This record gives sequence, C-alpha cells and structure tokens, in this order.
Amino acid sequence: MSAELIMALSPFLAVGGGALLLMLAEAFGAPAPAAGKAPDAGSGRSGELALGAAVILIGGALLSAASWAAGPSTTGEAAKVAPHLLLDNYTLFFCFTLCIGGAITALLAGGYQPEHRIDRGEFFPLLLLSTLGAMALAAAGDLLTLFVALETMSLGVYAMCGLRRGSVRAAEAALKYFLLGSFAAALMLFGFALLYGATGHMDLAGIGEAVKSIGAAESTVSAPMVIVGLVLTLVGLAFKVSAVPFHMWTPDAYEGAPTPTSTYMAIAVKSAAFAVMLRVLLTGFGDERLMSWGTGWPPAVALMAVLTMFVGNVVAGRQESVKRMLAYSSIAHAGYAMVGIVAAMRSEAAESSVLFYLLVYTVSTAGAFGALILCGSRGAEAVSYDDLAGLGKRHPAAALAFSLFILSLLGMPPTGGFFAKFYVFQSAMDAGLYPLVVIGVLNSALGAYYYLKVLVYMYFREPLPGAPVAVPMRSGMVGAALVLSAIMVLVLGISPGFSFEMALSAALPR
Amino acid sequence: MNMLGKVLEHYQLVASVIFVIGVVGFLARRNVLVQLMSIELMLNAVNLALVAFNRAHGEDMNGQVFAFFIIAVAAAEVAVGLAIILNFFRLRSTVDADAADSLKH
Repeated sequence: MSAELIMALSPFLAVGGGALLLMLAEAFGAPAPAAGKAPDAGSGRSGELALGAAVILIGGALLSAASWAAGPSTTGEAAKVAPHLLLDNYTLFFCFTLCIGGAITALLAGGYQPEHRIDRGEFFPLLLLSTLGAMALAAAGDLLTLFVALETMSLGVYAMCGLRRGSVRAAEAALKYFLLGSFAAALMLFGFALLYGATGHMDLAGIGEAVKSIGAAESTVSAPMVIVGLVLTLVGLAFKVSAVPFHMWTPDAYEGAPTPTSTYMAIAVKSAAFAVMLRVLLTGFGDERLMSWGTGWPPAVALMAVLTMFVGNVVAGRQESVKRMLAYSSIAHAGYAMVGIVAAMRSEAAESSVLFYLLVYTVSTAGAFGALILCGSRGAEAVSYDDLAGLGKRHPAAALAFSLFILSLLGMPPTGGFFAKFYVFQSAMDAGLYPLVVIGVLNSALGAYYYLKVLVYMYFREPLPGAPVAVPMRSGMVGAALVLSAIMVLVLGISPGFSFEMALSAALPR
Repeated sequence: MNMLGKVLEHYQLVASVIFVIGVVGFLARRNVLVQLMSIELMLNAVNLALVAFNRAHGEDMNGQVFAFFIIAVAAAEVAVGLAIILNFFRLRSTVDADAADSLKH
C-alpha cells in the first residue's frame, strides 16, 4: 500500500484498528467478575474504555478532516479501491459526522453505564465496529460493499440494543429491531439481485449507465426488473432511516434500548443510511428520466417524506415518555431530510443541505439524549415529562443544556437547527417544490408543541408532592459530551457558512 | 442464448416463489424462530437468483461472490439473532412475537 492510499483510508484504519485494540483491552485487562454479582454488572471499566473509544473516534474525525485537506482522493492510488470504497469528499464529510456522533455516544455511555450498573466493556468495541460499518456504508460504491457495510453496522447495534440482559424491555427492543432489520435487509438484497440481473453490474456507476440506456434500441436491460429492484432497495433503506410507513420498530427499539444505544441509533445509523440512500439514488438512478417528477423516484420519496413528517410530529405530541417523544422526533427529522433528497433531483445545493442537516441533526439529537441521560441517576432515571418538572430551579445547568438542544431540534436561531431547516427548505423552494415546503414549515410548527412542553415542564412546573424526583447524575464524561455537542450546535448556528461550504464541496458529481 | 434465457426464467421464477414464501412466512407466523427461518429462506432465494443471473452475465463472478458473502453474513446474523431470541425466551418463557408487548403507548 502506498502512502497516498493509507492516507485516504486512514479514518477507516484508525477506527477499525482501534476497535481491535479496545477488544483486546476489554478481554485481557478486565478483572474476573466476582461471584454473586448481577449478570449485567460487567467488569466496571467502562470509564477507561469509553475514553479510549472517544479518543479513537475523535482521531477518526480529525483524520477525515486531514485527508479532506490533503485533497480529494478519487484519482491516483486511492482510486484502486473504487468502486468498492469511494474515497471522495462526500465520504469524508460523512466520516467526520459519524465519528463525532460515535465519540459523543462513547462519552455518554462512559457515564451512563457505571451509573446504571450495566458496566459492560463490550459496548465500546461494538460501537467502534458499528461506526466502521457506517463509514464504509457512506463510502460504498457497489452493492456488495453496501450490503456488508450495512450488516457490519447493524449487527453491532442489535447487540448494543440488548446490552441490558436482565431487562424485558431491552430484550424486546433488540428482538423487534433485529427481526425487522434483517427482514428489511433481505428485501433489499432481493432488490440487489434483480438490479444485478437486469443490468449485469454490481457497481452503482455501472448500474447508472445501464439504467440510462433503457429505451435505446440495442439495450437489453429490462425496465420492470430495474423498477422492482429500485423499489425493494428503497424499502430496505427506508426501514433504516425509519421513514413512515416503515417506522414501526423505531419507538419501541429506542425506548427499550439503553439510552446511549438509542442515541447511536438515532444519529449514526440514520445518517449513514441517508448517506447511502442519497448515493444510490443519485449515482445509480440519477438518470434524467428517473429523477424527473413524472417518471421517477421523487414522487415516492416525497410521499414518504410527507407521511414521515406528519406521523412523526403528530404522534410525538401524544407521548408521555420523553425518550419515546425523542424517538418520534427523530422520525419527523428523517422526513425533513427527505424533503432535501427530493429537492436534490433538481439541484446540487439541495444535496448539500441534506449533508448539513444531518451534521446538525447528529449533534442536536446526541445532545438532547445526552441531556436526558444527565437528568437521571440510578433508580431515578428521567423518563416522563413529570420527571423533568422544576428541573430549571433544582439543576439549572442540566436544564439549560436540555433547552439548548431542544431549541436546536425545534429549529430556533441561534442554534444550528435553524440553518439546517432553512437550507433544506430554501433548496426545496429553489427546486419549485412549494407544497413540500409548506408542509415542512407547518410540521415544524406542530413540532413546537412537544418540544416546548419540555421547556414548560422544566421551568414553569413544580414536581407533584410525593412524586419521585429525577436526580441528575454527576459525570465528567456526560458533561464533556454535552459541552462538545453544545459547542457544535452553537458554532453551526452562529456561523454556518464554513460548514455549509464544506457540504457544498462534498456534493456528489452529477 | 435462447435456451439459456429460458432456463434463467425458470430459476428466476423459483427464486421469486421461495422469496415470497419467506415474506409471507415472516409476516404471517408469530413464532420468532419461524420468522427467523423465513428470513433465511428469503436470503436463500436471493442466493439462487444471484447465481442464476451470474450465469447470464458470465464475464465476471460478481453474482457468485455476492452469494458467498450473503451466506457468511447470514451466519453471523443468525448468531446474533439466536442470542437475542434466547435472551428473550429466558425472560418471558415464550418465543411468541405477540408476547413482546411491554413497549406500548
């Protein structure tokens, strides 16, 4: 391997190698579990492992930035791994987002796990390997890599979901997520088989060329097979981004899983799935006919986007559990991002707005879940709105952090959430999709109801007399994760120009 | 070539039928283990389709290689899946999917 190739692959190598190192550290460094301990008690070394994982992932993010600065690696030595891994700016942008999301998750888990006595070290190697899968998914340029990366990512998350072995709710969450996730993957695979059968290509660019030739006199590509293949592939990806009507598993899985795992599912799994969805649609099916409103995929994606926004926002408003509310809110956010995907049929800026949206969404959602973790402690986990009552007076710092992320999810200036929504809706306007923009803005207003409810409970309500009170935990790591997210939310909100420029230069070539 | 096309059509038909049996099995049966088996059936249908299509696009071995990857990844998936199902069974003493109902609002 040449130095150029190693440089281009460095984010992957760092995260993958780091995962193996942590696995060794976990296996050989752990003291033998004492007899009579609870089955989930674990080795009690989450703190060190979390710190290691966070350092490795932040290293991965820095290496992504460094190889970005070194220039695009789509030519020369690094192109040798194409089409299996496409090491373009698009990939690097997502590697950065995913690594930051993973690092925040690692820090949150480092605080959460000892506090709730599920001090199990295997969480961290799993987290790193899943992140590696997510990064490879963003880089996937052919169907084989796409499948292997998707499964690498998912298998780790299934296990992270069921980490708390003694809890029925966690077992159920893992079961539902696993069954529906594998079902979706199998549907998608059949779609892949049809695409391969119709076009004779496994790489997205080759599929794109073959699809373009449909209708030409000498073309042997069967259009019905391509369409069925595209539909099945879209369904599989819609499951992963939890778009309505394929969202049924999301609230249950997010609610039952340990909160750091919910965070990870909401940010990294979703961002990576969006990355690959955009790439498949634009590279594999970026043909003029397939990208037009009348004869292509945009109406289907637009319909899913509208359903996703409405269902996410309406049902989120009816939840009593804040964690479940955040799960539905993540469904609603998938809808906003899909508006950007529809707009990407007409402009490159729309595609960049999706990239920027996902970056902001990652840090805001990680922060919101993190604040929820911070607000609870062992035996007094913050779950419902009532648990948050009066938090503004009792623990102003925790309440302030929560408010910041909630406002960002709502889309208020000066947080990043405002510009994320602004860019997506702006680009949809430029693409002439006025109805979608109106629906999107209307939905943001609907969302205000349940987001502001959190603020109302924290600042204007007192806990009911005699009710159990959520006691915020003390953890430097959770604090560090929140500070990192808060800085990013504010920087993206106050000067979004730089990151948006980055997103613009990360757009896929047309 | 015409002969090959005909044979390929048959393979495609068999693969689609197996796949649909898998989908229906997954959706209709409530036993989690049977659902897992249905997923395996779907994956095997995909393997069959891939290998058959590979015969048609003979110049590379992409389809067959993909089938091997699916077999390997499916094995890993089953390992994780059975662990999850076993854990569920330990806690609830049933493998009925309808018993997974403690997360509802």
